[in-house]
Amino acid sequence: MDGVLFGATYALIGIGFTLVFGVMHKINMAYAAASIGGAYGGLLILKVMAAPAWVVFLCAFAAGGVLGYAVYVTCFHFIPLSSPLATLMSTVGMLLLIDEIIVHVTAGMPQNYPALFDDVMWRAGEFSLRGDLLLVFGVSVLCMIGLLALLYRTKLGLATRAVSQQAVAAQLCGIRVGRVNAMTFVIAGLLGGIAGALIGASVGMLSPLLTTPLTVKGLIVTVIGGLGSIPGAIIAGLLVGGFENVLQLYRGVAERDLYVMLLLFVFLVFRPGGLFTPRGARD
Amino acid sequence: MDFYFGLVQLVGVHTLLGLSAYIVLLTGQVTLAQAGFFAIGAYVAGMLTVLAGWHLVPALGVSALAGAITACAVGFPALRVKGLMLVIATLAFGEGVRLFFFNFDYQIAKGEIKLGPVGGEGFRQIRFFPENGWSTFEVMLFIWAFVVAIMALLWWFDRSRYGAVLRAVGEDEVAAQSVGINLTAVKVSAMTVGGAIAGIGGGLYAHYTTHIEHSSFNVLVATFAIAYPIVGGLSSVFGTLLAVVFVQALLVEGLRDLGDWRNLLFGALIVLAMNLRPRGFLDPQALGSLKRLFGGDRSA
Amino acid sequence: MKKLALAVALAFAAGGALAQEKTIKIAGFGAKSGVVRSFGINSEAAMLAAADVINKQGGVKLADGSKAKIAVEFYDDRCNAEEGISVIRRIAGTDAVVAIGPTCSNVAEPLFGILQKKVADSGDSGLQFPVFTDVAIKVGLARISEWAFRNVPNEMTMYSSVFYWLHQKHPGLKTVYGGVEDDFAHSRASWHVVMKDRAQANGFAVAGESKWLLNDTNFATQVREMKKANADIVAIAAHPFTTCGVLKEMQRQGVKPKILVGLTSSSSLETLQGCAKQAQGMIIPTSFAPVSKEGKYAAEQTAKFKGNADLHSMAAWENMFILKQVMESEKITGKDVQGDRRKIREGLAKLKVTKGLLGDTKRTDDREADKPYLFVQAKGNDWVVLHNPL
Repeated sequence: MDGVLFGATYALIGIGFTLVFGVMHKINMAYAAASIGGAYGGLLILKVMAAPAWVVFLCAFAAGGVLGYAVYVTCFHFIPLSSPLATLMSTVGMLLLIDEIIVHVTAGMPQNYPALFDDVMWRAGEFSLRGDLLLVFGVSVLCMIGLLALLYRTKLGLATRAVSQQAVAAQLCGIRVGRVNAMTFVIAGLLGGIAGALIGASVGMLSPLLTTPLTVKGLIVTVIGGLGSIPGAIIAGLLVGGFENVLQLYRGVAERDLYVMLLLFVFLVFRPGGLFTPRGARD
Repeated sequence: MDFYFGLVQLVGVHTLLGLSAYIVLLTGQVTLAQAGFFAIGAYVAGMLTVLAGWHLVPALGVSALAGAITACAVGFPALRVKGLMLVIATLAFGEGVRLFFFNFDYQIAKGEIKLGPVGGEGFRQIRFFPENGWSTFEVMLFIWAFVVAIMALLWWFDRSRYGAVLRAVGEDEVAAQSVGINLTAVKVSAMTVGGAIAGIGGGLYAHYTTHIEHSSFNVLVATFAIAYPIVGGLSSVFGTLLAVVFVQALLVEGLRDLGDWRNLLFGALIVLAMNLRPRGFLDPQALGSLKRLFGGDRSA
Repeated sequence: MKKLALAVALAFAAGGALAQEKTIKIAGFGAKSGVVRSFGINSEAAMLAAADVINKQGGVKLADGSKAKIAVEFYDDRCNAEEGISVIRRIAGTDAVVAIGPTCSNVAEPLFGILQKKVADSGDSGLQFPVFTDVAIKVGLARISEWAFRNVPNEMTMYSSVFYWLHQKHPGLKTVYGGVEDDFAHSRASWHVVMKDRAQANGFAVAGESKWLLNDTNFATQVREMKKANADIVAIAAHPFTTCGVLKEMQRQGVKPKILVGLTSSSSLETLQGCAKQAQGMIIPTSFAPVSKEGKYAAEQTAKFKGNADLHSMAAWENMFILKQVMESEKITGKDVQGDRRKIREGLAKLKVTKGLLGDTKRTDDREADKPYLFVQAKGNDWVVLHNPL
């Protein structure tokens, strides 16, 4: 059960990746790093004053947005769309840079992260549910709903969807593509900040070690769910989280990741579009 | 001097890693699997020289073959996946290879010590070079013999029809197909050649570090493999070499004096490089100017 | 005029000779980047502090009777094997006579591999440079080359002692359950080769083991297994990040073993910073605690150079003084770099006993150290000495 709940965090990261991909048809490799960075950003407030956990989360949320914008400006704004490889590489550079900044500032030591409902455990016989993971799940669901509402009920959302489907046509309609792209990054960043904070809370600690596996898992979730599809990312995240845990139970830790890769292969072979291929996705 | 020879060795092996990705990138496939083929080459060559007592050259031949066969096998399913999905699929493959070696044990007792790879602990004592008295200089020449040969091969490809076909597929698959190019053959062959090159590179890597383990072939290595050709520019093999020199010689060793700043600058400079030269150091314009400079007048 | 010129020239020469201070260079290298950054920072601080003390006391006495100052230069290998090899080659190209390092065991193994294996073997083109390790702790590495020496705690002896003592003190405890970080060479070996073996040798039954990976964040399944086994003692062979993760999960699931045993490397600030509450009472054998006068002094000096004194950095401190002793006893010249390196190697190989901050350290035949140790326990926000078994 824990796996599924943890999967909610994978889902959030997956959504972030898929959002950027859906709109700009590019992958932002720095996303997971930025979300952990956002979580660290949340910790900054604690240096100034002792704040309750939810304030820290809020700061992480904001920091994530700021980082998202930063990544946009440094990696996507100036590089022409015709060079996808260049943006890929520059996001890798950002990934390294963010990681390095975190390490420098914290001297590599893991930082304690405030958790909510840390000691709440609901037991039902063999099974137990962690209270804090339920909160993570809950917040993730809220975020997803919020995002879907934004995309489908607001003007910005409409603009974003327009740009993702036909950037040139959207521009002709008067939509400022640059601004929409930037906003996409900011929104994805905000999500990422929350995801990072939630992960920090559920693990209890933040460490730069978290970045790489999160990036890999996030990308896998994005692909399984279908690049560009948000509901896909959500379901895939939960699926991968649960799958991982079940496998660990039966086959042990060493083979666990191997099976996640196999799951990916199965999907790629049988359903290359992922769970939900977005309509009219041009690659 | 040994230090410089060692550095040149490192540049050589990394260039092979980069070149293995270069040829695949030409066809428009972004692959993060090269670290996997690199790993296979490393373990195969190591096992052959240490456990079976082979000489390094035939061992490298077998590594190349192993890399090629695996790459060919990966090449076919890779056809089904396009663009960025391929990136992730190949990443998963690379990780899969790494995890395989994490679980792989094969030890033979020689005398009283056991040799061979031991899962998480790695594969140690791959001492073909020092045991046979090769000096750092000689190892450097050996590695570079391969690098030069492979660069020459790829450069020759670039000037031949095969190179044009590769790039055509990379530019626009639909157009290439409509001219009668067999996409499958081209893409899979590029992947196979890339696998062979990575296999050789891996074999050399194992021998000049004397110890390999699963974590030596992680996502970062896979990323560097494509970073070199992308940063260097896909217009020419020399771009990759330039990028390797830039990263390993300049960023890693040259900036050593900057102490702590070195790591921060690493990521920052890559971001900067991509912003300033999105098509790589040696992009078509730069290449054109260089050609005019050296080769007399040629139509750009 | 000529006489004046000659006099001036002589004066300059004499002045030059006086002003020219001889230095002996000792290189340091280790991880100053990445998650393990603090190790490199601390080792460098310890080395600089030790050099400062030695120099203030006059320096090293050379073969010709003159004194030389020790200069330390520290290189960052980023915990990367290729870079470590590059760094040692770079060091060998300078006039450094010995190097202290590396931090990471995955760097040490390839690095020792490129050194000449046996000194007598002229056909072996490996590097001929002495390396005296302070931190890289994976079991059995110095065996790889006769130029490799280590001053790291011997986990076999320490854990043997821990389990022996636990068995003596708490005869009612019977079972041990292990938790191991399986994809990191050091921690993996520490459980499978050392802890498990030593626990059994001292009368405990191993009730089972749970594995996880270095980057893991979710330990629910493993702790559930642990809970089922309900062992008296839980031994965790993992570094601070996952150790804290597991401990927090254990708290959540209500797993409370009677005794908690940890990995040597985790007896550091990191663990307490991450999960002091959950780690309370954890027992770890370590080769350093600031209990003796020398220990406290070393810690103070290292702090002046902005480093933390723990078992790793204090090994670097000890190494510096051991090297000074060896340099003097082998009468290095300060002029013949390769010759001096040879002498230092010979000197290190000859040593049977060295001075450590906890007491005398025995040197073994395979160039490892048998360091005195004590048991520390997490109490409040510190690692407090629990028991001195010596």
